[in-house]
Formats: sequence, structure tokens, C-alpha cells
Amino acid sequence: MESLYLLIPLGVVTVVGFAGIFIAAALNGQFEELDRQQLELPDDE
Amino acid sequence: MNAEGAAQVAALEASLATDRDKSAPPSAVHLALDGVHCARCENRLRDLIGGRIATLELDLVSRTAALTPRAGGPSLAQLLLELKNAGFEPRVLGEDDPVVTMRPARRRDMARIGVAIIGAMQVMMFAWPSYFDGVPDPTIASLMRWAQFAVAIPVVAYAGWPFLAGAARTLRARTLTMDVPVALSLVMATAVSAWRTFDGSGPLYFDTATMFVALLLTGRHFESATRAQATQRLRQLAEGPPATARRIEGDEICIVKTLLLSPGDRVSVAPGEALPVDGQVEQPAEFDESLLTGESRPVTRARGDTAFAGSLNVGASPIVLRTLAGVGRTRSSEILHLLRRAAARKPAVQQRADQVAGWFTLAVLVLAAAGAALAARSGADAALSVALAVLVASCPCALSLAVPACLAAATSRLAAHGVLVTRADRLLKLAQADTALLDKTGTLTHARLHLDRIDPLRGATAQQVLRIASSLESGLRHPIALAFFAAASGSAATQVRVEAGRGVEGFVDGRRYRIGPATERIAGQDDALTWITLSDEQGSLAHFGLSAPVRDEAFETIDRLDRLGLRVELLTGDTTAPARRIASALRIPKFAAGQTPEDKLARLRALQAQGGVVLCVGDGLNDAPFLAAADASFAMPGGSAVAQARADFVLVSDRLDGLPLAIDVARQVRKRIRQNLAWAALYNLSVLPLAMVGWLPPWLAAAGMSLSSLVVVANAMRLRLPEKK
Repeated sequence: MESLYLLIPLGVVTVVGFAGIFIAAALNGQFEELDRQQLELPDDE
Repeated sequence: MNAEGAAQVAALEASLATDRDKSAPPSAVHLALDGVHCARCENRLRDLIGGRIATLELDLVSRTAALTPRAGGPSLAQLLLELKNAGFEPRVLGEDDPVVTMRPARRRDMARIGVAIIGAMQVMMFAWPSYFDGVPDPTIASLMRWAQFAVAIPVVAYAGWPFLAGAARTLRARTLTMDVPVALSLVMATAVSAWRTFDGSGPLYFDTATMFVALLLTGRHFESATRAQATQRLRQLAEGPPATARRIEGDEICIVKTLLLSPGDRVSVAPGEALPVDGQVEQPAEFDESLLTGESRPVTRARGDTAFAGSLNVGASPIVLRTLAGVGRTRSSEILHLLRRAAARKPAVQQRADQVAGWFTLAVLVLAAAGAALAARSGADAALSVALAVLVASCPCALSLAVPACLAAATSRLAAHGVLVTRADRLLKLAQADTALLDKTGTLTHARLHLDRIDPLRGATAQQVLRIASSLESGLRHPIALAFFAAASGSAATQVRVEAGRGVEGFVDGRRYRIGPATERIAGQDDALTWITLSDEQGSLAHFGLSAPVRDEAFETIDRLDRLGLRVELLTGDTTAPARRIASALRIPKFAAGQTPEDKLARLRALQAQGGVVLCVGDGLNDAPFLAAADASFAMPGGSAVAQARADFVLVSDRLDGLPLAIDVARQVRKRIRQNLAWAALYNLSVLPLAMVGWLPPWLAAAGMSLSSLVVVANAMRLRLPEKK
């Protein structure tokens, strides 16, 4: 049971971290026009 | 407002001041209005500034508006300040910006959905032991309550912000939308749970609040994704035609701005490039017109055929195009205009649904209070639980979504098949149509007529009469006018007057001429041709015989209309012989020739007076009155802009088979809307009593409400699939 004293706060920190990463990714357009990438030519340079 | 915005306002003010100096009307200013969400916001906006400006076109889908200040009215800066104070968050945009303004809002929405889902899962994990026997160790139990608090508060504040802000705006405007019960339940659940976290006793509702936000946002996302299809198309249309063109000037090719092209210019278009403006091709070529028509297969255009701005030259060699219209008058720009107008218009049926939802919201608030008062005898916990369950379970989301989700899905499906819906609520009328009145030239026949015979009179030569006729018809887009395009001399007639259904009058080389339907029997007349006469003040100067081939798909279209149970009638301004020939070829039982716009309108009114629901299809200026008066109307894309402006649907693919498809989809829409409304009513009527007597816990209410909204949206999205027969 003692491990819960560590795991519960760690869970809170982890979810805050993941939420932050998700917000940054979404605001930078990570989830936009997902079908467009396949149509773009690869950049060889 | 930021510095850039302030600078834009200053520049716009300066331009408006210049406009006023010239006594010209002020130009439209494009604004992003992030604070506008629904029909009620639109009403508030119009109440606030509508009476003091010249025009306001609002696009609820992209949350943008085109606002034209009134000369002598309040300044733009003053209007912007008022909009800002009322919570509409205005931003001044450039001319082309409206199509990209949705991007930041869409990204924020996506971030909110992700945060809500991640947060809700984590909160439920921390709440999990309390669903069973609880945690034996009180310290661990307290730690888990604080963990729920730490995750749920930011999640509700960030992801639930659109509902909280929406409710605040609505209450400030003293109206009611579904945001009010949503926000109220969120605030109640979160505030009570926060208090109990500090207090250390009593059940928590953090899991209900976060799950409610996550499911509501997911439902909204699916609904707005369906509506965004039209906006996506709008953006593609705006980006379609290139900004520059290669104009052929003698032996040289000059790169000029597309804006500077004028009718008659010759333009070279390389393989893979998009056409800058509409024009006639000088050699056979293949084009990808999917942007305009939704049809992805290449279309072959013969020499002299019209190709459209935004189409891609998919052939292997460059083509030469002779431009027909300037950049602002291309088919893609007209479609863009129609799309913007369609997006700005709120369907009447949706307005009624919003009104019902408003009253329903008030009823929910009253019932929640009544339920809480009844349950108060069993303690504060029970009262709170009942109030939360009633508020959450009966949120009229499904009711609000039932109609718009269906209309959006149908609009999106029809757009993919080359049918542009400009008045979505007319789909419901179209579903009931029992009679179809069809125009002949340009509708059942190809828009482009062939000039088969020229009979000059009074000693005139064929070249002379052709030059006069082409000068009179230049600049017009009726099929008859297009037949003279090949002979266009470049000089246009002056003081041109177009009389719908009767012809064109104007001055060429200082003399008055008139061209219109032949009113007398012509010697050696071929009855299979359509005859028009050129005359001056002395009388007839020449007769022209034109032929119009029937569209390939017209046969199947008439057959399908028949199978759909519609009575088909042909109404044409043409003479009896060609009308009879077409009617007989297409097996149309009833036709009327020599019809003026008034005759067509009278026939329509007569049918409507007998209780008929009539759909009309036309293309020319003379069809505009009956298109406007019809229960549902279709315009062909090659016809006059006035006809398209009056029509509820435009067959942008230039094919008639969109007509039976639209009727079929419209009938499906009516069925789905009925199913959705019945479902929403049944759901609310069944859960409300359960919630009021306390048999429905808040978390189950949240799941049920969200599920009912998802059912409505999913049922609407089925419209995007072809129906199985």
C-alpha cells in the first residue's frame, strides 16, 4: 500500500505531462489534414 | 485588439474615409468572430449592430462575417469595440482570410477533446475504488480524492471552457441555450466536489463532470466535422485558380496577374496547372474538374468547349485558352459566392428547432429545481444528485443536433456528386415534390447551341449580320449567346437591354438592332432548328437557325423522375416544333412551347394552387421568376448568374443526373430528421422521470445524454452513404 503514496502523485504528474504534450501537438497542427502527408513528395535533400 | 489588428483598423478607416470622400459606398470588412457559435449568437449580433450598418453576412460555420459599415454611421473602430465588449472577440481579416480562420479554433477544439478524454480516464481511475467498497486506508482514500481534484479542476476549466463561456454570453444576453444547463451542471458538480474534497466527506462528482465534458466535446466534434466538409470545399475553391497567368501577346508569353485578364485574352496553361479563368479551349484537351463537380475522372473538352477556372490541365501538352470572363465572374467564383451565402443562411427548420430547444432548456431548469426540492426531504446529497441528473440527462443536445446534422450530411453528399445546395431547408420541400417543370434549352439540351444556318435578308452579307448579332450577344451567357461567341468581333454593343424571354436590344455602330425569337414563319424553315431573328428599325435583317443536341443523361433522368413518382412537364420559350421533338424523344407527356416568363410562372402557380409541390429546373434569365417561386428549384451552371442566385440547388457538374439523386437524398433526409426528432423526444421523455425520482445517477445520465447525441449524429452521417435498395 505504501507504494500508492508515490504512484498516485506520479499518476497526476504523468497525466498533466501527457495533457501538456497533447495540447502542444494539437495547437501545432499535428492532427490536421492527416491524409495529406501521403500525397506529398518525399524531400530527398 | 493587438497592434497588427489596430494597424489594420486604422488602414481600413483611412480607406473608408477615402470611400466616403468619393461618395462611394464603404467596402465590406471581413471579420473573424470567435465568440459566435449559434443562431442565438447571430440574433444577438444583429440586435447589437444590425440597425447601424449597411450589410452583415455571417458565416456560422467558419465564424466569420463580412460587414459593410453604413456611410455616416458608426466608425469601424467603434463597431469593433462594441463587438469586443459584447464578447464576440472580433478580429479584422484580409480579403482572403476567412477560409483559413477556422484553423486555430479547430486546433483548440482538438486539444480540448484530448485533454478531456485523458483527464476523464485518469479521474475515473482515481475514483475507481469508490465505485466498490472504497479504500480501507483513510489516508490513501484522501490522497485519491485530492488526486481527482488536481486533475479534474484544470480539465473542467480548460476543456469545459467553451460551455462556461457560452453560458456566460447567453445569460448576459438574457437568453437560453443548451450551454446554460451544461455549464450549470459542470459548475455544480465541480464546486460541490471541490468543497467535499476540502471537507473530507461525501461523494465526489469529478468523474461525472470530466466524462460529461469529454463526451459532449466528442459529439460536437463529429457534428462540426460533418459541417466542415462544405468549408473545406470552399477553401479548395478559393485556392483553386492560380494568382498569375501566361498571357499570349503576339509571339510572346507574358506572366500577368490573373486579375488583369480580360475577356478575349489568349492564355497558355501548362500540363498540371490550373486554369486561371473560364475560357474556350483552342484544341481538344483533358481536364480534372473535381474541384467544381466532385467528379474525379478527367473530362475531355473539344475545341471551342468551355473549360473552367480551377480545373487542372491533365493532358501531356500545354493548351491555349481564350478567356470568357474576368477573374471575378468565373464559375468557381460564383460557386464560392453561393457557398458563402448558403453558409450564412440559417435554415428555417433549424431556427424552429433552436426555438424549441430554448423552451426545452427553460423546462429542464425548472424541472431540475423541482426535482431537487422534492428530493431535499431525503437530504442535501440526494437533492444535488437529482438536480445534476436532470440537468445532464435532459440537455437538449440531441434535439438541437437532429436537424442540422442531417442537412449538413446531405449537403456534403450532394456536393460530392456535383449538386450544390444553396438553401438546405429546401431539401425538405424537395422530398415532397410531385411535379417537375423543366426548361428545354440549356437544361434538357446542351448549353452550347450550334449555329447551323444563317439567312441574311435585304442584301446584307452573312459576315455583316453575324458581326452585329455577336456584338449584341457578347457578354451574355445564355446558350443562344454562346453560339455566337466563335464569331465575336471583340466590339460589344452599347446600351444593351435584355428582355427575359424576348431577346436583346442594343446599338451597334450607332444603329439600333434587336435579336430575339422568330415571330413569323421563315421561308424554307427547318422545324428541327430553333430560329431567331435579327432586326433593325426597318424590319427583319437575318434569320439564324440553331440546333441543340439533347444531353446524353436526359433520357435516364426523365425515366428516373418518372420512377420516383414525379409528373414531368416541359416549358420552353422555343417554338412548338423543336419542343415537340424533344418531348417526344424524351417521352415527356406534356409540353408547352412559346412560353414567356409570365406563362411559366402562371403554370407553376396553377399547379401550386391545386396543392402540388413543384420543382423547377432552368438556366436562363427568363427562368429566374419561376425558379424563385418554385417549392424547390435547380439551376444549370452554364446559365445566367441571376438564375443561379434564385435557385435552391445548382447542378455544378453540368449533368442532369444530379436531379433524381437530390430528390432521393432529400427523401432520405426527411426520414432521418423524423427518426432523429423521434429519438430525441423519446429519450428525453424516458430519462426525465427516472432522473427526477433519483433512479438515474449523474454519471449514467452523462453517458446517456452523450450517447443520445452520438446516435443522432451517427444516424445523420448515414446520409453520406448511398442507401441500400
